[in-house]
Amino acid sequence: MELIRSSQTAAAKSRNVTTAPDSSRAERSKDHWSQLLERVASHQDRAAFHELFEHFGPQIKYYAISNGIAHQAEELVQEVMISIWRRASTYDWRKAAASTWIFTIARNQRIDMLRKIQRGSAEMAIETEDLWQIPGDDEKDPVPSLHRIIAERRIRDSFEYLPQEQLTVLKQVYLEHKSHQAVAEDLDIPLGTVKSRVRLALGKLKVILQDQDL
Amino acid sequence: MSTHHPDEVLLMEYSAGTLSEPMALCMRMHLDRCSQCRGQLDMLNSLGAIMLDHSQQASRVSDDLFDNIVAQIDSEPAPREAETEKPSHDSPLERLLGSDLQELPWKRQLADVSVYDLSDRFPGDERVTLQKLCAGGRAPSHSHHGSEATLVLTGAFADANGVFSKGDFVILDHHHDHQPVALHGEDCITLSVMDAPVKLTGRLTRLLNPFIR
Repeated sequence: MELIRSSQTAAAKSRNVTTAPDSSRAERSKDHWSQLLERVASHQDRAAFHELFEHFGPQIKYYAISNGIAHQAEELVQEVMISIWRRASTYDWRKAAASTWIFTIARNQRIDMLRKIQRGSAEMAIETEDLWQIPGDDEKDPVPSLHRIIAERRIRDSFEYLPQEQLTVLKQVYLEHKSHQAVAEDLDIPLGTVKSRVRLALGKLKVILQDQDL
Repeated sequence: MSTHHPDEVLLMEYSAGTLSEPMALCMRMHLDRCSQCRGQLDMLNSLGAIMLDHSQQASRVSDDLFDNIVAQIDSEPAPREAETEKPSHDSPLERLLGSDLQELPWKRQLADVSVYDLSDRFPGDERVTLQKLCAGGRAPSHSHHGSEATLVLTGAFADANGVFSKGDFVILDHHHDHQPVALHGEDCITLSVMDAPVKLTGRLTRLLNPFIR
């Protein structure tokens, strides 16, 4: 027992994190990006921040362009990266993967940007983050971390096996800012067909529970 | 724990950030009370991140972008504790209203029904209202041309589809011909987002109705 504990401690030290032995199993599941975020939070580590930028910057720029705000694409990257820098200390890897947390920040900044353009100088009655929360900003129960990590891996693994027609619908909703109604119009198919493709896809990814799982 | 939830298609639109502001508010208020939907939203947010990661066309950024970001960070004070402070315990709706629900200048429309219109706080054409059905009260029978998202804020109401209580979310459309009755004990206040006016189906058609503009 003593031997196991000391080897765990050594492993924890070698990763340069201090952690209780009983959480080391979960600790190992922590992904690279989460570790970088923690370095930003704990030492304002610019090398870690740069690595995050190298990976997520181009994704966020693509996200802006696909969402139809090409003119503000780099402005969005800038806003999101600054937000990541400022809020890194609120990031909790148990509540969301780093990539998920960054996705929600990018989504909110995109919404915020569009709201400001729509409104002009008029004051917003309600903050974007009151409408769309960033994971970890509340006290509510997170999905148990290992369960979440396994579920994410499952989504990632099954994602590439989705039929093209289902993938197209998901892409239009997530990356092109289209409602299901707009997707139906764009693809010239009934709204019901769009919804059933979404349900089939989410079922395959096990994002939604199938009847047999309940 | 809620028993009436938004469907996965709506949750996905919320996760993707394509819902209108009032619809997002309904969803947020439901999520605050529903761990089941929060769990599902976590998965949908992960899906969003995975989709972004899979988009092969990631776009090259300008060479000086990182330097500009760092320069902006340096020009501002270090993150203060205030930025990580937990927000107040008021719900987003309470922050929007700046007042207790009961204190609002409610407009009485029928014996049992009062309404407070919030539409002008939001962009877009949806009609956003708070509706109060007094404890034990009854609303006129009606159905809907378009659809109406309803979130129960206080109390509970019942109609042919079941009992809806605090935190419950339901979409009413032309399939529902309903005559809601508030349960006894507490006024039932709902947040409602309508994309088209309702049509009356009962004998009260001739009366001024809160649901018609």
